[in-house]
Amino acid sequence: MNSVIGLVVWIVFYPLIAFTVGVFLGGYGRKFTARVQRRVGPSWIQPFFDVIKLMRKRTNISHGYMHDISLMMLVSGTMLSLYFIPVPGFHYFSQFGDFVVIIYLLLIPSLGMALGVGETANPNGSIGISRALQMLFGYEVPFVLTFIGMAMLNGTTSMYELVQIQQSGGIATWGIVTHPLLGIAALFALQGMMNEKPFEVIIAPHEIATGPMTEMGGKYMGMMFIQHLINLFVELTIYANLFLGGAKNWFELLFKLFVLFTLILSVNSVFGRFRTDDAMRFMWKIPLPLAAIGVVGIMLGIG
Amino acid sequence: MNTFLLLIFPLAGFLIAALFSAFSKKGLVVGKTFAFLGFSAIVLVAIMAKSEIGSIIYGPMMFGWQLQFGLTAISWYFALMISGISWLTVVFSLGALREGGTYPMYYAWLFAKNLGMLGVILSQDILAFFIMWEFMSWTTYFLLQQGTKKARSTAMGYLIYAIIASMILFAGIIFLHQASGSFGFSEIASTVAGFDMRTLILAAVLLLAPMLIESAAYPLHRWMAPAYSSAETGITAFLSAISTRIGLYGVAIFLFTVLGFTAMKKLSAGHYFNLQVVIMTIGAFTMVVPTFTALFQHDAKKLMAWHSVGQGGYMLVGLATATSLGVAGGLFHIFTYLTYVTLILFCIAAVEYRTGTTNLNSLGGLIKKQPIAYVGLLFGIIGLAGIPPMNGFVSKWLIYRSLILGGHPFLALAAFIGTLGTILSVYKLIHNIFLGQLPERYNDVKEVGFFMQLPIWILMLVVLGTGVFPGLILGWVAKIQVSLGVEPLAVTLSGVQASAGQLNMNVVSSVFGATMLVAFIIFLIGGRRRIVGQYNNYAAGHFLDKTVKYNFNYNFYSAYEHIFGKRFLNPPVKRGEEGLVALVERASDFARRIYTGGLNTYLAYSLGAVILMVVILKGAI
Repeated sequence: MNSVIGLVVWIVFYPLIAFTVGVFLGGYGRKFTARVQRRVGPSWIQPFFDVIKLMRKRTNISHGYMHDISLMMLVSGTMLSLYFIPVPGFHYFSQFGDFVVIIYLLLIPSLGMALGVGETANPNGSIGISRALQMLFGYEVPFVLTFIGMAMLNGTTSMYELVQIQQSGGIATWGIVTHPLLGIAALFALQGMMNEKPFEVIIAPHEIATGPMTEMGGKYMGMMFIQHLINLFVELTIYANLFLGGAKNWFELLFKLFVLFTLILSVNSVFGRFRTDDAMRFMWKIPLPLAAIGVVGIMLGIG
Repeated sequence: MNTFLLLIFPLAGFLIAALFSAFSKKGLVVGKTFAFLGFSAIVLVAIMAKSEIGSIIYGPMMFGWQLQFGLTAISWYFALMISGISWLTVVFSLGALREGGTYPMYYAWLFAKNLGMLGVILSQDILAFFIMWEFMSWTTYFLLQQGTKKARSTAMGYLIYAIIASMILFAGIIFLHQASGSFGFSEIASTVAGFDMRTLILAAVLLLAPMLIESAAYPLHRWMAPAYSSAETGITAFLSAISTRIGLYGVAIFLFTVLGFTAMKKLSAGHYFNLQVVIMTIGAFTMVVPTFTALFQHDAKKLMAWHSVGQGGYMLVGLATATSLGVAGGLFHIFTYLTYVTLILFCIAAVEYRTGTTNLNSLGGLIKKQPIAYVGLLFGIIGLAGIPPMNGFVSKWLIYRSLILGGHPFLALAAFIGTLGTILSVYKLIHNIFLGQLPERYNDVKEVGFFMQLPIWILMLVVLGTGVFPGLILGWVAKIQVSLGVEPLAVTLSGVQASAGQLNMNVVSSVFGATMLVAFIIFLIGGRRRIVGQYNNYAAGHFLDKTVKYNFNYNFYSAYEHIFGKRFLNPPVKRGEEGLVALVERASDFARRIYTGGLNTYLAYSLGAVILMVVILKGAI
């Protein structure tokens, strides 16, 4: 009985926890970038205020039902993939779907947003989506290859089992230590996955009027913010689970996310923007061969 | 009895429909009614034939061999798919075919094609298989012509490939009869163990090559996209859904039943190179290359025809793994692909019916005018891209897992790359047809009628239903695996029970539903929304009205075209094919010169021949 109550509590509060962590990470990100640029920067929980402000707007412009549904698909797809990612204390859903499922669930938000932006009938939005999907192809290929390598090595595609295997021997069995090539390749891919510079041509505010967000305002923008914050947690946790040995408790997990995000922000603050084709070329020239060498190494039994 | 009727009904339907179209100039309504009743009967017979699995009926004697027909687990699976999709196509055509169209023999050829396909899957010996195969190829040729004017030349392209395939298959049959002394599948299977290496290689090549041509495997795939895309759209759906997959049926039968996988394993040179690897590599190329060719297409039907080639690669790879997961994935993918490709092409046909075009650069914004076709296409593309909760995800999941855990990381990567390419191109498809700005000329477009909507609704239900409850189909797939001699998959109604990471689609889809509800509540928490028209849009301070084209669809993936355009639009396979054509043309030109048309030349030839004969006969005596 106790476990059932615990489960229900987790199911209810897990998205809220992820959102809260996302708020702090997002706030930290803005603060960090501001300090690099010698500004003071906004409050640590500014993303939270933004969400409240946007959800309370009185003007909400919609272009049709698909526009509305797309925002729901966006938030729901991210929450859905969140449930299948194991964290300390909660891995109930990992038994029903493995990492391949998570990769595909993560496509639901992309597709949802793409459909909604399409209905807004703004070419800036469509260009943004065209870039987003091409970038998706750019970073997903090396990322998936690193996952395939890890899964093949450990003989399982379940994320929870991958975490268990990595935790068995301390730092020495972390993915990034045993297979540094895969870990580094995935790190590059993660930078693209999180749309941080130099891979932020999707939004490109000065060129295409913020791309997918062009026709989004009020609660539509608010829901995109909510999704973005949960997504911060999702993407960082996936990397931590795959290569940093997951975590035994929440303190450890948060610390790992913090370190990982700092690394990504540091790259973000000093780089300009790659053009779409250059970004894709980069993804296939550096991380993809790295991952391929790593996988061949695993096949041949080295490392 | 029902098995027998499965062949008789299409035959009778073909004859009656052909006679009817020969003697009656008008009366499309009668033809439609007859076809509807006929195909309903075939579906019923196919369902009822389940109890006759395993029994054999004998056909006429030929070359001292009595032809054998009968149902097996896999052929019943195919019989259901063939009859079901034909029925849906006919229902769709009730609305889609207009009076005064250019399809005099439409239904007759549809019946004939059914006869051919059902005959192929029912045959239990290679002689019957070959006869039915030939019949099927010819009917495909005639069926392909029912459409645009361009269809005649592209259908000829198909015919050339089909004839090559038939010739190879014919050689294979004679060869196998020489080697084993029999035509029957089971008799050959029992003698395969005694074959030496050379016989085995020849048998495998001669039997599998025609199947790979028919299933449009890379690099023998170039006939398919032009041929299918210029046919009438209903026929495109029908053909890409099932016709091409008969080749895969052949692969499955020859690989597992006739030759047996243990014999195939013997065909290897070293650890890394064997027949299995060869087939899987062909499959991997088929997954990736055509999918990216699809990305560059500007015509909806052509785009889907290229996907039809590409998705075949998944099935081929799945079958070739010969593992429990992989074979189940390959067989299930044949079903899932069938459902969503038909759905997609029916929706495209619904758009074409109203707008008269499938050109992706000139359509747009039709979501407001044809919402049902839009939702249908959406279900279809989610299935094709393999995103939960649709059925395409389950079959792809099985294939990925078999590749990852089977130690084929780069094949798994190829499968993922194919899927990503699919997502890109299907988004282009739905965006350019239904999203973006609605051109003024389509302001009067309406939704299509009941008969065209009905198949779309049914298929939507199937795509979602078998995605949430994959066990409905996978249960039978496991039975097929038993009959093919592969370890069956541990199937539950909701998914797959496996030791290292399982899948439960019920949980995935119910959590999806719950999170959608939460997202809907969040949406409601925000203030009231106001729906605005398409000209009420951000345009950087400019103003929009109907004279302004404010849309982005031409050259949708420009960065890709920048990087890959040349390679995919003029690939080496195409150049090779063109070189071959040029060679044949030159040879024919040379041959043509022999026939000068002058009587003197022919007399000289005759004289030469007589002299030659005399010399030879003298020499012989």
